Amino acid sequence: MYMRQPPSERIAKDAIKAWKLTASLWSCIPILIVIALFVLAYLFDFSYWYGTIFIAISLIEVILTVIFIPKLRWNRWRYEVFDQEIYIQHGILIVSRTLVPMIRVQHVDTKQGPILKKYGLSSLTVSTAATTHEIPALLEEEAAALRDRISELARVEQDDV
Amino acid sequence: MSSPKRLHPVAIIFTVIKSLRQLIYALFPIIILASSDFGLHYVVLIISIIVVIFIGFSVLSWLRFTYRIEGDQLRIEKGVIVRQKRTISKNRIQSIDLTQGIIHRIFGLTKVQIETAGSDRSVDAGLSAVKLEEGQHLHNELKSKYENVESVVESDKQTNHAQHTITVKRLLLAGSTSASFGIVLSLFALTFTEIEAFVPESFYNRTTNLLLSQGIELLIVLGIVLFILLWMLGILTMVVKYGKFTITRYENELFITRGLLEKKQMTIPIKRIQAVSIKESLIRQPLGFATISVEIAGGETEKQNASETLLFPLLRKTEVKGFLDEILPEYENNSTFRKLVPKRALPYYLLRTSMIPLIGLIGIAIFMPEWVILPIILLGLSVILGFVRYRTTSFNLSENQLTLQLRMFSKEIVLLKSKRIQALERSQHFLHRKQNLGTMKLSILNNFGGRHYNINELNEEDLDKIGDWYSTET
Repeated sequence: MYMRQPPSERIAKDAIKAWKLTASLWSCIPILIVIALFVLAYLFDFSYWYGTIFIAISLIEVILTVIFIPKLRWNRWRYEVFDQEIYIQHGILIVSRTLVPMIRVQHVDTKQGPILKKYGLSSLTVSTAATTHEIPALLEEEAAALRDRISELARVEQDDV
Repeated sequence: MSSPKRLHPVAIIFTVIKSLRQLIYALFPIIILASSDFGLHYVVLIISIIVVIFIGFSVLSWLRFTYRIEGDQLRIEKGVIVRQKRTISKNRIQSIDLTQGIIHRIFGLTKVQIETAGSDRSVDAGLSAVKLEEGQHLHNELKSKYENVESVVESDKQTNHAQHTITVKRLLLAGSTSASFGIVLSLFALTFTEIEAFVPESFYNRTTNLLLSQGIELLIVLGIVLFILLWMLGILTMVVKYGKFTITRYENELFITRGLLEKKQMTIPIKRIQAVSIKESLIRQPLGFATISVEIAGGETEKQNASETLLFPLLRKTEVKGFLDEILPEYENNSTFRKLVPKRALPYYLLRTSMIPLIGLIGIAIFMPEWVILPIILLGLSVILGFVRYRTTSFNLSENQLTLQLRMFSKEIVLLKSKRIQALERSQHFLHRKQNLGTMKLSILNNFGGRHYNINELNEEDLDKIGDWYSTET
């Protein structure tokens, strides 16, 4: 009956903070571009309008990616690990649900960048021979436990490829 | 048995050719240098020194390359500067194929390719030239472990194995309807017969006048000759590549030999087959012909020939069932399909194919209104394509096999086993959710990491059904 109901588990709540921080850091790029545009406008005297328009666009973009999207994204993200399969749901506008049979799992990784580390989170990546699937933010211990559990479950005899 | 053996000296030629081919790129700067002020004789000298070094190197590496069978293992020693010893255990060997190029055939030699499981190709071993008997001996020696496929020797074809060989007539038909020819054909058809319809009259008149002054008969004749030449070329490549195509089913593997000039062998273990595909291209479909291929995981098959491996170049549609029942009875092959895509999804299909032509139409209508007929035709064709795609997409679900009928341009029937599907994904956007539609993505494994089948906008009910079918959890 799976794939009819969404998976049960949510990812760590701090994911929102981590994503917000990441998005804020990314928004440095539009800021730099705005500065560059104004400097260029000053030096080569072309219109300041380009810079102004760009400010408006990047403002909207920053508000969306920093304030709204992380929350929505977290809200949609669900996963569930069964004995024989892994079930993942994600996506804001387009909601995807993925089912990965345990016997297809080739390896599981946990990863932690500086931002995730700050919040004590790590991400978990499940790879099959043809696809990879990531659960983006789990509490460190939880991720490690899940990784071990999946790799244990995936150990069941692999019949070729 | 255990004494180390060398390859046939002809192997030196292969090494030289191979290294020279790589060297050509390195020689370019020298040649460019020569064309400036550097003396030509210096260049010749440098090149000949390099060639001599390479030949010397090839001889040395031939001297160093030895192989032997020791018990259950094949041992290969090689390397001039860095010595390398490789041991491959019999149990690890997935397949051994003997391939004969033209040079091989002249000297009665064969190339032996030994494939092991896993995607790391550097682990696989190859003996570039040994005597044919020696190759067959090696084949039997190393393979005896899992099956008695002694029938690699052409003479003793066993009668109890299912076998299909392509007839010359079929081969010619396959060549004349091959995809590359189809493209050429439609291009020519477009330019020759329809040119009047969608070229503005003034332009058409001017061009025809120009052509008439050149002698239009001559041009037409030239065009026809070119067309026939291209067609012949298509047929010829097909005949050379797939001449004497024979497929044999053994207990655990398929064995294919093909090639008129270069004789190629291929062994496909049944358990490495990930999906079977029956394809009817736009030209072949109305004629009632189809091509059968399989997706294989891992191993080195036909590097240059994309991911799919041909099981048979051309079959009449009515023969497909019989062929598969004999060659791959593991796969059910029934022709009853149920439509997957409900009527309410039709707009998505039409929009998807006609979006880009529509934008093109608007653009051209604004900037070059006299050419507007072209994008209109294109738009019409893309709407038809969208509709046909919508009509074609259907499925059949049995206990452990999903059969999909799809169309990009060619109609394709894909037979998938549930345990071969690597992951199943369904996605819906907000409009989909309102309309109870959803998109499905099935991933399978092949030589190129994976192939993904996308089926757009199906009934949510069917999505659920396929999800349940795939899920092993109860």
